[in-house]
Amino acid sequence: MIDRLADPTSASWYEASARARIDGLLDAGGFREFVGPEQRRMSPHLPLFDLPRAFDDGMVVGEGILDGRPVLVAAQEGRFMGGAFGEVHGAKLVGLLRAARQRKPAAVLILFDTGGVRLQEANAGETAIAEVMRAIAEVRALGVPVIGLIGGRAGAYGGGGLIAGTCSRLAVSESGRISVSGPEVIETNRGAEEFDSRDRALVWRTMGGKHRRLTGGADAFADDTVAAFRAAALNLIGRAPAFDLATLEAEQARLEQRLARFGDCREATEIWSRLGVNDPAAVPATTASAFDALLSGLGETTHDAR
Amino acid sequence: MNEWRRERAAREARIEAGRAQVEGKAEGKVVPADRVVALLEAILRPGDRVCLEGDNQKQADCLARGLVQCDPARVHDLHMVQSGVVLPEHLDVFETGIARRLDYSYSGPQGARIARMLYGGQIELGAVHTYLELFARYFVDLTPNVALIAGVSADRDGNLYTGPNTEDTPTVVEATAFKNGVVVAQVNEIVDRVPRVDIPGDRIDFVVEADKPFYVEPLFTRDPAAMTETQILIAMMAIKGIYAEYGVRRLNHGIGFGTAAIELLLPTYGERLGLKGEIATHWALNPHPTLIPAIESGWVRQVHCFGSEVGMDRYIRERPDIFFTGADGSLRSNRAFCQTAGLYACDMFIGATLQIDLAGHSSTVTQSRVAGFGGAPNMGSDPHGRRHPSDTWMKAGREAGGVGDPSLMRGRKLVVQLVETFGDGLVPTFVERLDAMELARKIGLELAPVMIYGDDVTHIVTEEGIANLLLCRDADEREQAIRGVAGYTEIGRGRDRAKVEELRGRGIIRRPEDLGIEPLDADRSLLAARSIKDLVHWSGGLYEPPAKFRNW
Repeated sequence: MIDRLADPTSASWYEASARARIDGLLDAGGFREFVGPEQRRMSPHLPLFDLPRAFDDGMVVGEGILDGRPVLVAAQEGRFMGGAFGEVHGAKLVGLLRAARQRKPAAVLILFDTGGVRLQEANAGETAIAEVMRAIAEVRALGVPVIGLIGGRAGAYGGGGLIAGTCSRLAVSESGRISVSGPEVIETNRGAEEFDSRDRALVWRTMGGKHRRLTGGADAFADDTVAAFRAAALNLIGRAPAFDLATLEAEQARLEQRLARFGDCREATEIWSRLGVNDPAAVPATTASAFDALLSGLGETTHDAR
Repeated sequence: MNEWRRERAAREARIEAGRAQVEGKAEGKVVPADRVVALLEAILRPGDRVCLEGDNQKQADCLARGLVQCDPARVHDLHMVQSGVVLPEHLDVFETGIARRLDYSYSGPQGARIARMLYGGQIELGAVHTYLELFARYFVDLTPNVALIAGVSADRDGNLYTGPNTEDTPTVVEATAFKNGVVVAQVNEIVDRVPRVDIPGDRIDFVVEADKPFYVEPLFTRDPAAMTETQILIAMMAIKGIYAEYGVRRLNHGIGFGTAAIELLLPTYGERLGLKGEIATHWALNPHPTLIPAIESGWVRQVHCFGSEVGMDRYIRERPDIFFTGADGSLRSNRAFCQTAGLYACDMFIGATLQIDLAGHSSTVTQSRVAGFGGAPNMGSDPHGRRHPSDTWMKAGREAGGVGDPSLMRGRKLVVQLVETFGDGLVPTFVERLDAMELARKIGLELAPVMIYGDDVTHIVTEEGIANLLLCRDADEREQAIRGVAGYTEIGRGRDRAKVEELRGRGIIRRPEDLGIEPLDADRSLLAARSIKDLVHWSGGLYEPPAKFRNW
C-alpha cells in the first residue's frame, strides 16, 4: 500500500463512507454494530425492480464510545440509493431508537445522508419515517439527547428532513443541506422560474448549511472534516434542550416570529440582510472560521426553532 | 465592368444594399439590433454560402435569431458552412427553407434533431468534417459569401475584440473578408477603444450591438466531486504505464472524467512517482479548471487554448507565464492554430469515447444522434506530415515495428483511448459493430462518422489494463489485445484466454499488478482537488465557477 495523502484528522466528512464517518467520530475501537452486513438483512423489495441490494441496506447502526461515554449511532450510506429510507433501512433506525429507551446512552447520534424515502418501497419507508419521529420523541422525553449530523452528499431531504426537525440539536457543514422537497421536485411542480434546480448557488443559499445555521435551523456549523463533526457532536450533547412543554411552546413562538419577520423575503440573502449580515452576497464564499465570527456577531441564531 | 472583378462588384452591391437599410440609423459601421433582419435580407442572396458562427462554446446568437426571422421568399437555399450546429436556430433555418445545404463539424446538443432532419430530407448534407478540414475548405471550395460572427466589443470602425473565446473567428474572417465576402459581427458592446484588436476593422463590414451578451457554454468543467475510483485507477495506469514510460511532455487531453482525473493526480500520484518536469509540461488544451492544481504546483510550462472556459478568465489573466494572453491581459485563443498544434506539435492525444470495435475504431455516435466531431479526430490521428523527432514519438515508432535504416524510420504519435468497459447506464463500450455504421446506412452517409480510426489508436486503457496496439503484429493480435482489456462485456468474455495470456507475457496487455499498481490504492483521497471549491482554493480565489457547478 502507498501512503494515503489524506491526514486522518482532516479527512472530509462529505467524502467519507458511513462506516468511515463512524470510525472517525467515535473513540477508536469501541464500535459494535447491530444487524451488521454479515447478517445480510437486505431489502425484500428491490429484487422486484431488478435493482442491486446492499448487505446493510445502506444503514449502519450500533453502539460505541464518544469521549469516554456510551452512545448509540446510526449512519446512512448516501452512496447506496442516495441513502433513501426503505423497509430494512428504516427498521434498523427505529430499532436503535427503541433500544435507547432501555439503555439510556449519553446520546443517540444520527449521521444523516438521505434523499428521503425510497420510491421502490415507499409505504414501508414512509411508515419508518413516522416511527422514527415517534421514537425520537420518546427517547428525548427520557432525557437522552438525539443529535443529528448533516454533511453528506445527499443532505437530509424528504422524510430525513422531517426527522432532522425532531432531533434535540443539529450540526451541519457548508455542503450539508436540509429540506423536505428537493430542488428538482420544486422545479418540477412550480417551474424553473420559482426554483431553478440547476442554479446550485441558489440551491445552497436556500437549503445549504450556512443558511440553515444562520436562521437557527441548525445549532452548530462544522468544517467539512470528521474531526470537526466530532467536536460539534460533543458540544451539542452538552447543551441539548429539555424536552418539555416550555421548550415546545418557545419553539412554536419562535417559528411564528420567524414567519412574521421573513415571510415576505424572496431570497435567502434578504433574510441574511435582515438578520444583520452586512454583506450577504459574500456569505457563501466565507471560510468556516470567518463564518463562525459572523455568527457570534449576530447573537440570535441559536434557538430551537427549525 | 472588368470580368475579373465580378465578385468584388457583387460585394460592393451587397454592402450598399445593407447600408441603405440602415440609412440614418447607423453610426459608422454600427447597426442597431432592431435592424438586423433588414440588414441580413439586404446582404444575403439565395444560394449564398454562409458561416453563422457557432463554435463549440461561443455563439453568434443574436445574428442567428435575426437570420431565422428573414423572409424565406427573399433569403432561401443558403449553404451553411460553420463548425458548430449548436443552437436551435441553426436548424430552424432548414425548416423554413432559408437554408438547404449544410457542411459542419460539431453538433453536440442538436445531435438528435440533426439526425431526424437528415433522415427526413430537410437538410442536404455535404459532409461532417473535422475542424481543420472545414477550416481548410473555407480557403478552397467552401469560402463563405457572408460571415456572421461574434465578439465581445467593437469600436465604430469595426475593430473587434473577441475576448478570451476567440475560437474560430480569425479563420472565418480571413476566408470571407479576403475573398470578396461580407462580414457582420455581433458584439456585446460598442466602445470608444477596444481592449485589443483581435480582428482589424477593415475586415468587418457591419457591427451589430447585440440585445444580450453572446452565450458561452461551460463545456470543459469536470466536477472533481463526481470522479469515481474506477476513473482514478484508469488514470493511475495511464500515468505510470504511458506518460512515464514514453516521457510524454507535449500533449492534448480530451474532455472526459478520466483525463480530468489524470490532471488532478499529477500533483499527488505523479509527484510521488518523481515525474514532475518529466511529463505533461506543454499543452494544447482549453483552460480546464481541473488543471489548476498542476499549474499551481509547477507542473505546467505552457498551455495554448482552442477557446476559453467560463469562470477561468481572472485566473488566466494572473498566469500569463502559462497561457497565451494579449497586451490587455486576457486570453487569446485560436481554434485553428491550437488544432494544428495538437496535430503536429503534440506527442500524445488521450481521450475517451463511447464505442470501440474489434479493430479499434471508435465513435461517439449512437443510433439516434449525429454529434459530429470535436477536436479528437485531428489530434487523435498520426500526422504523416510530421518530420521533427522527439523521444516519445521515436519510441512509439520503434514499437510500431519500423524496419530498415533508422534514419528513414518514422515515429508515431500516441493516440490513447481511456474508457471504462461499461459506460453510463451500464452500456458496454466495446462492440462488435459501431452504431455509427448503422446510422450511416440509415441516413445515406458515404462514410460512417468514425471519431478515431483503429490504425491511429496506439493504446486502450480500461480498468482491466492497458492494451498496447503498437506492439501487435497482425489483426488477430489486435483483436485479442482489445478483447483482453474489455472486461465483462460480450467482447471481453469472447477472448481467447491462452492468446491473451501470451500477449500479457509480451507486455502487449498489462494489468494493474504488472504496473505495480494496487487497485485498492485508487482512492479519492489521491485527487489534488475533490470538489469545485477545492479548485477555487487552489486558484487563490481567481477561478469563478458557474452557478451550476457550485455547492456552497
